[in-house]
Amino acid sequence: MIRHLSRRDLIRYCGAAGACLAAGYTCSEAKADEILKVGIALVSPVAEVGWTKQHSLGVAAIKSAMGDRVEVNIIDNVFQPQDAERVFRGFAASGHKLIFGTSFSHGAPIARVAPQFPNVAFDCCAGSKVLGNLGAFEAKYYEGAFLGGIAAGKMSKGGKLGFIGGFPIPDIVGPANAILLGAQSVRPESTCNIIFMNSWSDPGKEKEAALALIAQGCDVICAMTDSPAAVQAAEQSGVWSTGYASDMSKFAPTKQLTAFTVDWSSIYVKDALDVVAGNWKPQSRWQGLKDGVVKMAPYAAGIPGDVRAILAKAEEDIKSGALQPYAGEIKDQGGAIRIAKGAVMADADVRSANWLVAGMLGQMKG
Amino acid sequence: MSAYRLELCGVTKRYPGIVANDGISLQVGPGEIHAVLGENGAGKSTLMKIIYGAVEADSGDVLWNGEKVKIANPAAARRLGIGMVYQHFSLFESVSVVENIAVAMSGRFDLPALSTRIVRLSERYGLPVDPNRLLHHLSVGERQRVEIIRCLLQNPKLLILDEPTSVLTPQAVRRLFEVLRTLAAEGCSILYISHKLDEIRELCDTATVLRSGRVVGTASPKLVSAAELARFMVGAELPDVHRDPVALTPHPRLEAIGLSARSDDPFGTDLSDLSLAVHGGEILGIAGVSGNGQGELLSLLSGERTASADMIQLDGQPVGDLPVADRRALGVAFVPEERLGRGAVPTISLADNGLLTAHADGLVKRGFIDRQRVAGFAKAIISQFGVKCTGPAALAHSLSGGNLQKFIVGREISLSPRVLIVSQPTWGVDVAASAFIRQALIDLSRSGAAVLVISEELEELFQISDRIAVIYQGRLSRATSRTATNVEEIGLLMAGVGPAFQTAA
Amino acid sequence: MMRIVLEPRPSPLPFMRIVAPIIALVLTVIVSSLLFLSLGLNPLSTLEIFFIEPLSTLNGVSEWLLKASPLILIGLGITIGIRANVWNIGAEGMFTVGAIAAGWLAITFGGGNHIWLLPAMILAGALGGMAWAAIPAFLKVKANANEILVTLMLNYVAALILSYLVNGPMQDPEGMNYPQTAAFDPSAMFPPLVEGMRINGSIVITVVAVILAWLFLDRSFVGFQMSVGGAAPAAARYAGFNQSRSIWVGLLVSGATAGLAGMMEAAGPLGQLTPVLSPGYGFTAIIVAFVGRLTPIGVVFGGLLLSLLYLGGEAVQMSLSLPASVTRTFQGTLLFFLLAADVLILYRIRIRRR
Repeated sequence: MIRHLSRRDLIRYCGAAGACLAAGYTCSEAKADEILKVGIALVSPVAEVGWTKQHSLGVAAIKSAMGDRVEVNIIDNVFQPQDAERVFRGFAASGHKLIFGTSFSHGAPIARVAPQFPNVAFDCCAGSKVLGNLGAFEAKYYEGAFLGGIAAGKMSKGGKLGFIGGFPIPDIVGPANAILLGAQSVRPESTCNIIFMNSWSDPGKEKEAALALIAQGCDVICAMTDSPAAVQAAEQSGVWSTGYASDMSKFAPTKQLTAFTVDWSSIYVKDALDVVAGNWKPQSRWQGLKDGVVKMAPYAAGIPGDVRAILAKAEEDIKSGALQPYAGEIKDQGGAIRIAKGAVMADADVRSANWLVAGMLGQMKG
Repeated sequence: MSAYRLELCGVTKRYPGIVANDGISLQVGPGEIHAVLGENGAGKSTLMKIIYGAVEADSGDVLWNGEKVKIANPAAARRLGIGMVYQHFSLFESVSVVENIAVAMSGRFDLPALSTRIVRLSERYGLPVDPNRLLHHLSVGERQRVEIIRCLLQNPKLLILDEPTSVLTPQAVRRLFEVLRTLAAEGCSILYISHKLDEIRELCDTATVLRSGRVVGTASPKLVSAAELARFMVGAELPDVHRDPVALTPHPRLEAIGLSARSDDPFGTDLSDLSLAVHGGEILGIAGVSGNGQGELLSLLSGERTASADMIQLDGQPVGDLPVADRRALGVAFVPEERLGRGAVPTISLADNGLLTAHADGLVKRGFIDRQRVAGFAKAIISQFGVKCTGPAALAHSLSGGNLQKFIVGREISLSPRVLIVSQPTWGVDVAASAFIRQALIDLSRSGAAVLVISEELEELFQISDRIAVIYQGRLSRATSRTATNVEEIGLLMAGVGPAFQTAA
Repeated sequence: MMRIVLEPRPSPLPFMRIVAPIIALVLTVIVSSLLFLSLGLNPLSTLEIFFIEPLSTLNGVSEWLLKASPLILIGLGITIGIRANVWNIGAEGMFTVGAIAAGWLAITFGGGNHIWLLPAMILAGALGGMAWAAIPAFLKVKANANEILVTLMLNYVAALILSYLVNGPMQDPEGMNYPQTAAFDPSAMFPPLVEGMRINGSIVITVVAVILAWLFLDRSFVGFQMSVGGAAPAAARYAGFNQSRSIWVGLLVSGATAGLAGMMEAAGPLGQLTPVLSPGYGFTAIIVAFVGRLTPIGVVFGGLLLSLLYLGGEAVQMSLSLPASVTRTFQGTLLFFLLAADVLILYRIRIRRR
């Protein structure tokens, strides 16, 4: 069976390679009575919380939505582009009709593989390219980050926040800015010390960074990291924290103010249903609170009612568009006005943010 | 109940390819000093390891005080009351003497008390050793003292000594014999492994002679001559060393002039104003108890350490500041004391070990090794020097000590050196191989090379040297013609007693 | 009571060199079959998917060689280093610096369609790795600094330099601020050997390196001197071999191979520089070197095996939806038995009764 499959796919693949420029997804292969094979590459093994955990929940959602009509195969620990390309190709060559990438580092390899398999649907989280059969999706983290910032600004004693992020890329720099803007919206003098670890997942470094920020006097640790190490360190040190990706309250039962979590299940399930129905289209999606892709974790018990009311109001306003986290006037670290009063930052600028707002203490580079 | 303390019945031990012990039986009574005599490779060491529990016999019985025992490991042997002084010491390099001894002792780990006992024992038996020195700073001779003391501390009922006297002064040997006799009188049995026939005749009550893993007979060494014993052991007539008259080169080939150097090792011996001269055609022997600066002298002469240029001269040319490779290129060859790990690389073949120092002899072409010539070179040494091995592909550590030493000496002699410097040429080497090596050294000197032999075996130095000097605490005595001195006088110099050490050679 | 003991063999058994890996394979098959059975899988077909299926297509073979090539190349350098008793734990950093050096050329001259660009990048990759390796070599020769620590630490330095470069001077100006360089021009990339597959001309470098490494270790006198220095330093001193040179050669060679591998990865499957370039090749290659028993031919087998383990692990996850932990257990079992069985070359197992 397996040998047979791979041989058939080899033939198919060779044909595809020849016609590799004939872009454009055709859905003739997908039939309603056939079991849909979905392949997904995860950047790390599935942990209790974090980026990969949230993607695995999305996968689980496909299964519960489609039951026996779908077979989902996961390959984890695929981070490097050179490995990812092999994995995507392997998925495509072994009959998977819907293939997900889950990292920016998957963007380039998936874009190289997709044109060679025009009958396969590819969708890449944090991917940058959209092709004839390759979509991209990403979340508006900054919306949740802004709410986290409001909670932080209200609950902080000294108005000194601390932010820990992986790499200084727009997807992290943007939310970092939003956290501080959220804090400043309720407490204008708020500042934020910022540390980039230059690593995606390093619990030891995350804990160290959290402790360093606490030692510098920060009393809310805003972590945008992959492990619960930072919120855990904050809990142990008795300072507030905000989490990211997953609800990390299990690791900080009293001190996690909230967490801006991501829930990809709507995207995963829709892709799978569309492929089966034969009407899947590659598209770029960038969704936030309104679409339920970004969700706030339950607020900490220690947050008083008036603050909760402010947060609830802000969440509703963001969903409705009445509140724009990136509304002017916004100055950068050097004091230059980046967004004029009354203006709102353009989406393209949000997605390529490479500067820090006024009140940020620390550097993006170095 | 047997009258014997130790009895072996038909002990057999096979290794792939050889039978190390083939049905060996022997008996040792309480208080008996029993010699086990045999050439290297005769199976003495394996037999001792079986008794000591370090190796398990394939068949045969070991009886201890008449009861059959299974000695599973050395600790079990020590519990029975068996102590062993190995030929190749089982000591830990990086810890001190007292710690080395402590690990072998049962009971509480009380280092100060143990140190006191060590000092007391070492004074009583004339085996001076500082309990707090680190092992890797000790010379071979000093390490052996540690081994002996370690055994004596345990009040053994049977003491096994494997070639124990080769690094002691004649006076110290005599003192050791006194100790052993005292121990025997106290009822301790002694198994004494040696090839030094004179010592066996002086010390031992009975001798069991081994050849090729078998017992070839038992003798009373006090009743037979050394020559008879030797014949018994070798199974043939021993070649005698013969030497042609000396024809010296007009000028010294190797000279050390006022050589002074601080030792690299904080516990080593500094050399002080040491001078010597070796002419082509002669052998200069340097006697001395180990640890008196021999190691330092050898490393300075070989170039492993450098001095100022004029301090060492080769045919009048200053070479003191040249590294090893340059001195070798000028025609100096060396045989170091440590065969495995220095004179030869244990894990590579004999052929490659030939390449080690003979690479300039046309074995390397344009940077690439000429495998055929390398094998040919090794094959020539093997046949010329009678090295017993499976061929040039044999790994160095698969050879017995004597055969490897023959190979190393043969390799260095094959380089046709102007000067050959040899340290401990026959340490632990059997009688036949020793005689062969000694003859080879004499022949080399008679062909016009200057040969310097540093040895702790006086018997050897008197057999081959034309002149003998003594090194003591980094100073060298005036070299005397062999015929103008005697073992007693040299022995006193070795102990630092006698005429002042002079600077001129 | 019975006791199992290891007794050293008087001399290594040559036929064990061949038998040991076979024993390891048999044991792996037995143990993993039990594992697969307990998961309700057919052991035979699972093993087939692990070892046969990945290589059943031309593309599979291409992927196999593509992954094995850098492992073999780096493994060769590490082998040469360890022969000289120089333990290079820093191949990862040398890989990175080699890729940076080559990547700089690619970005600076990529638009000009220069025919010399790829050869220059090859040279730059090797030199970059060597430059990075020169630091521990210098410190070891001059200050007797432990190369294990120095090379390990330099991995982090190299990673930080790369991070700085892709976030700053070498960042793609049109890349939305993502930390990566622009994609290399085709003139700065190895041409594919088979259209539509990833295996590319860089494999030639690895093949040549295997031959050179074999010549160096087995035939050259400098290689011999180095091995002596590694196996018996006192013997090397006694013979007058230059120990400092051995350290330099050991580190520079492993730097050159790691740098080349980095260059090959950048100008091959990656096609650009990103903050992390190596999927741990510098460390995996240490396993490759030991699985290959520190010989060039062995390293080829080691690299092919490790590469196949990656591919097979993915194939099993893909086809049978096995959790990754199971495939990793299997990979670990095989490596464990392989390295453990090597003990049988030098030791034999005896059962003692007491």
